[in-house]
Amino acid sequence: MTDHDDEFTRRAFLKLLGASIALAGLDGCSRIPAEKILPYVTQPPEFTPGIPVHYATSMVIDGYATGIVVESHDGRPTKVEGNPAHPASLGAAGILEQASLLQLYDPDRARTARAGKAPSTWETFASAMAPRTLRQRVGTRGAGLALLLEPTASPLIASMLASLRTLYPDMRVHFYAPFASSARTIPQYDFRSADVILSVGSNFLAEGPFHLRYAREFADRRRSPLAGMNRLYVAEPGFTVTGGTADHRLQCRPTETEPLLESLRAALDGHAPQSEWIAAVATDLRAHAGRSVVIAGERLDSRAGALVTAINDALDNTGRTVWHVRSPLLGAGDPGATLTSLTEALRGAGIDTIVCVGGNPSYATPASLEFSSVLRRVPNVVYAGLYENETARDAKWFVPTAHYLETWGDARAYDGTYSIVQPLVQPLFGGKSVIEVLAALAGNAAADPLAMLRASSNAIGMTTDDEGWSAALRRGFVPGAPLPREATPSTPDRSPELRPEPAGAAGTIDVIFEADPRVHDGSFSNNGWLQELPDPVTKLTWDNAALLSPDTAKRLGVATGDVLRLAHGSATLQIAALVVPGQTNDVATLHFGYGRAGAESVASGVGGNANRLWPATDRFALTGVMAERAAHAPRREFAITQTHWTMEGRDQARSDTLEHYGGATPIAPVRQHQPLTIYDPQQRLGSPLQWAMTIDLGTCIGCSACVVACQAENNIPIVGHDDVVKSREMHWLRIDRYLESGADNPEVITQPMLCQQCENAPCEYVCPVGATMHSPDGLNEMVYNRCVGTRFCSNNCPYKVRRFNWFDYNAELSVTEKMVKNPDVTVRERGVMEKCTFCVQRIREAEISAGIAGRPLRGDEVKTACQQACPTNAIVFGSLSERDSEMMQRRDEPRSYSVLEQLGTVPRVQYLARIRNPNPSLETGR
Amino acid sequence: MSAAALPSPGIAQPASDEWPLMRGDPTDASLTDAVLAPLWHSSPAWWALFAFSAAGTLLLLGTVAYTVMVGIGTWGNNIPVAWAFAITNFVWWIGIGHAGTFISAFLLLLNQKWRGSINRVAEAMTIFALVNAALFPLLHLGRPWFFYWLVPYPATMNVWPNFKSALPWDVAAVTTYFTVSLLFWFLGLVPDLASARDRAPTLLRRRVYGVFAMGWRGSGFQWQRYRVAYVLLAGLATPLVISVHSVVSLDFSIAQLPGWHSTIFPPYFVVGAIYSGLAMVLILLLPVRRAFHLSGIITEAHLNAIAKLMLAMGLMLAYSYVIETFMAWYSADAAERYTYLVGRPFGPYAVAYWIMTVLNVLSPQLFWSKRLRTNTAALFLVSVGILTGMWMERFLIIVTSLNRDFLTSSWHIYMPTWVDWGILAGSFGLFGFLFLLFLRFVPSVAISEVKSLRLELASRRRAESSHA
Repeated sequence: MTDHDDEFTRRAFLKLLGASIALAGLDGCSRIPAEKILPYVTQPPEFTPGIPVHYATSMVIDGYATGIVVESHDGRPTKVEGNPAHPASLGAAGILEQASLLQLYDPDRARTARAGKAPSTWETFASAMAPRTLRQRVGTRGAGLALLLEPTASPLIASMLASLRTLYPDMRVHFYAPFASSARTIPQYDFRSADVILSVGSNFLAEGPFHLRYAREFADRRRSPLAGMNRLYVAEPGFTVTGGTADHRLQCRPTETEPLLESLRAALDGHAPQSEWIAAVATDLRAHAGRSVVIAGERLDSRAGALVTAINDALDNTGRTVWHVRSPLLGAGDPGATLTSLTEALRGAGIDTIVCVGGNPSYATPASLEFSSVLRRVPNVVYAGLYENETARDAKWFVPTAHYLETWGDARAYDGTYSIVQPLVQPLFGGKSVIEVLAALAGNAAADPLAMLRASSNAIGMTTDDEGWSAALRRGFVPGAPLPREATPSTPDRSPELRPEPAGAAGTIDVIFEADPRVHDGSFSNNGWLQELPDPVTKLTWDNAALLSPDTAKRLGVATGDVLRLAHGSATLQIAALVVPGQTNDVATLHFGYGRAGAESVASGVGGNANRLWPATDRFALTGVMAERAAHAPRREFAITQTHWTMEGRDQARSDTLEHYGGATPIAPVRQHQPLTIYDPQQRLGSPLQWAMTIDLGTCIGCSACVVACQAENNIPIVGHDDVVKSREMHWLRIDRYLESGADNPEVITQPMLCQQCENAPCEYVCPVGATMHSPDGLNEMVYNRCVGTRFCSNNCPYKVRRFNWFDYNAELSVTEKMVKNPDVTVRERGVMEKCTFCVQRIREAEISAGIAGRPLRGDEVKTACQQACPTNAIVFGSLSERDSEMMQRRDEPRSYSVLEQLGTVPRVQYLARIRNPNPSLETGR
Repeated sequence: MSAAALPSPGIAQPASDEWPLMRGDPTDASLTDAVLAPLWHSSPAWWALFAFSAAGTLLLLGTVAYTVMVGIGTWGNNIPVAWAFAITNFVWWIGIGHAGTFISAFLLLLNQKWRGSINRVAEAMTIFALVNAALFPLLHLGRPWFFYWLVPYPATMNVWPNFKSALPWDVAAVTTYFTVSLLFWFLGLVPDLASARDRAPTLLRRRVYGVFAMGWRGSGFQWQRYRVAYVLLAGLATPLVISVHSVVSLDFSIAQLPGWHSTIFPPYFVVGAIYSGLAMVLILLLPVRRAFHLSGIITEAHLNAIAKLMLAMGLMLAYSYVIETFMAWYSADAAERYTYLVGRPFGPYAVAYWIMTVLNVLSPQLFWSKRLRTNTAALFLVSVGILTGMWMERFLIIVTSLNRDFLTSSWHIYMPTWVDWGILAGSFGLFGFLFLLFLRFVPSVAISEVKSLRLELASRRRAESSHA
């Protein structure tokens, strides 16, 4: 590789030398392409060079669609935002949706089809898969053919599968993704109507197909604490975003979940509860019967889910705040469509050809299933995927698939809303969509997905004419028609898998398996934005770990970074431990998605593979796991962005209880005041609009969507594991997470921390060259061109929100990675300081647009990227001069304060103290 | 001949009654020969040291080139600790640079005769320390190629430095100090360079020394002008001793960071600077004295005087430590209190804190003993200790203020990289390299001043004997 590079460099240099001499006189201001090109005779109506266009589309995760709006600059998508009208988004975008943009441009994406090891083409592949050829292998009825698709609710795929079945009546169709629910019915919730919520192992605020909507509904009931604030109880083994938001959090081992629910149901029936906690929760729930929600984690066993259903029935919540619908996913509730049944079929000799489209089953399956080795024994394995990953290695045929931003398609949201996937670019690497692969199987190598989609849409009555179709495309979905409610499923028998049992023998612990908040099941492992995004709970980047409570770590004799050896039966896993205050004792949490072995360069060498220990596709907890310190394994140096968790008695992140806040005493000990000055601050800043931001800590759940939004909007570079270890991450916006009241079961407060845009900015007066200055509209501006990099500004910033380009972080970007950059924002060079600008490019764009329209700009017309992405609307932006704006009205609340106001910096960012709503009858503990 | 131009001529007082300022009864010629001898002959020891320091200089060049090519990221700096080794080294070296001018100019104005035999080494040390010091702020910039933006020059875009920031003050203070120190050193050298010219064994050397001697003939007229200029420059340099390190300290104290934001910094820094400078003078002087057999000119009287000064500076520094810690407690500010009362003494760099306290505060207390004040081994060891302690003091001021400041969420440790260590070690190399060149090519003791001291001592002896 290096030899080749060297040679290339020398040759390239000589070529360039020759060429530059030859062309020196010819080169004008523009490059003239070799092809003959024609300018637009009539410019497309929606397209003006330099002005971005927004398109509505949908992203599917685990089978369900989230509506998104994608910004496109001159034909290249640069930002994923939420679709305000879509029921699964409400304008917000999760971290996966936003970061999926980087995946589009990932230079590691597969580019060529191959047969065995030899490069091949789509046409060759399509002819090999055409019924005429394939029938010879799989029989005329297709008994030797199996399909493995990612879970989907797409009506188009459903119809294509139906027509394929006419060709191959005996073919098998399976759907698999580790975290997709395969239940026949799915619960739906209305958190807006819930006064009291009990979550048992559910991270509903940050995970699952409707988490953006649920987070908004939950937050809407906490925005005005004095106007009917809800109360959240969480019982969970690990520590999740939802647990950190809870008013009362109970640490609960996986084996204790079912007894807890049993006891709660008994308590609701009038029996004596087992604990004070259950008694208090039961009383509270009963007092809010019909106006409460009990929600169970999707990965709890079905018995726990049924208990929760029964409790909701007993509380009269069913039909009001909780109801069930038939799952729109194809094959839902069909035991013959699961991965397990596929594996059994593959173990037999009947299957000749298996076609896997998407997913990564060779990796993302329990090691005990041995799916990879089973797959390798199948004579003809076809895999279509984004990457040459683990499954691609086991496949004979490989075809690169297209990214969802490159394809036509359809999907359904969690409530059944028909959502459209429309492409923003031609496939960058020539990939094909699942629709085209299925069409090829049906003998149509040159399918027109758009035509098929329109036909399908017409067939199910979603759109009938061109006008309706255009409206649907513009909106991104077809509103209305939620799935019909179904009767609640009956309670199955006690599940045999997770019986309440005493804690295992000395040295054994429980292990729970969770979707990684960042890379999910591993499908996003190769995404630098996500790898470098601090985990919302542990602030860990570029890794996963065995998360242990301080007591358990002590008992096992491990500290953070020490390698732990976990063993259960014949399965073993060596993984470094990370001590997390608040984790349930004797429970280790493992996140999926690491320890990858594919050809993805970013993901390689990161973390440990939890699938090795994962017992079965429907079991996400394991008891009696032997845990011991691995004696000779070298310590793992974790890249954690926050290493100090307490506030040391300081008050940067303030909170209060509702009881106290509602009382006579004002919450904030210090009120915002202007420091004494002989200058008139209003006079000093001349502009009519004075930009400011208010952040509500009461509704901030710490999900980190804003961090990814900021990264995408502001061209923030990725620095990598080693530089995060050195505390050099470049995020302009970080989420500080503080723990209060003890390490056993701490109260959490999350605080988005970004440039406070101080009116008396300490960074400004210390800059020797005047590279950071104040604008007339109150922005603390950073002039990259003028910065020489003394870093004095960072030293004098009490909030430590300034970031320095220690290296040239953009030097080694590939051509496609450069395409993700927002052209409205400077890409910073080595040696200059940078920081949050309040998205000044958006402010200026709005000013210019308003100026062209000849009208004054209103402050709340501008939305910063973080504000836009926030699922809970915790961030509002606007102008100090507009008293009636939401931003200003929130500031008038008595819980509003500035961080470090005693320093006299007069920050333009103000925070609203978090108000908790603890149950007064639960004095002790949480 | 020169007495007329001195501010207060009178009789040269020996620094101590017990030790003479000069031993034996040298003649002018023998003094000149003794001082100039190293210029004509080099020893294998010199070559060995020279090779060693040249290797260190190459290390410096290599690490600097690496830093400039790749970026400041090759160092251990981070956010929050955006300043660390480089600024520590800067403050440390510039502090060392203070003793030269202090000994030369300050003591000249105070008519301390004992300075005559050591001021040359001290001044050379100042120049070389400043060369080292100036390297660091430059190198430390993210984009060092734009360093001149800190200088107020009439740019076509009409952009000026931000005069509210202490860093342009710093640039002005350090460049002024360097210029004045260099002129002062060179002016003092002129008569000695003429001596070297007159005694040089080869034509080439005569020519070279002749150029630098600038036509010095030693006439009364020249001496008179020379003395006036020398005292004027001394008068110019003396306030700079106070101002330079005061301005350097403002780099920190204008910030609002706990641990930096302190009004005691200017005197505290000046005292520390002179303290470390004196230690460095001893570290250089003691081996030179032994190697070049100069104990007749550099006597116990000189060592005793320097040791007493170090003790005085050490006490003042200890006072500063106590006061700044007291003020932190008295401020009742949580962050201030944390930095001084918890972060420094018990934080991740506590070892450095306690080493600093022992070396800077306790070790000079040995100099209450007269015997130890003239014991070269004790002087050398304590000096090394003080230099180490002073380096740690600057490191602690910079790093422990930054690594745990206001918001606990951004607290983070700093660890130096091999490049950081390489640059620090390389700067020692450069310093040694320059100093060894100085010893080899420049008279290391001010011959003319020593000779005038001899005359004064001789005339006093004559007066005493005739009185008897």
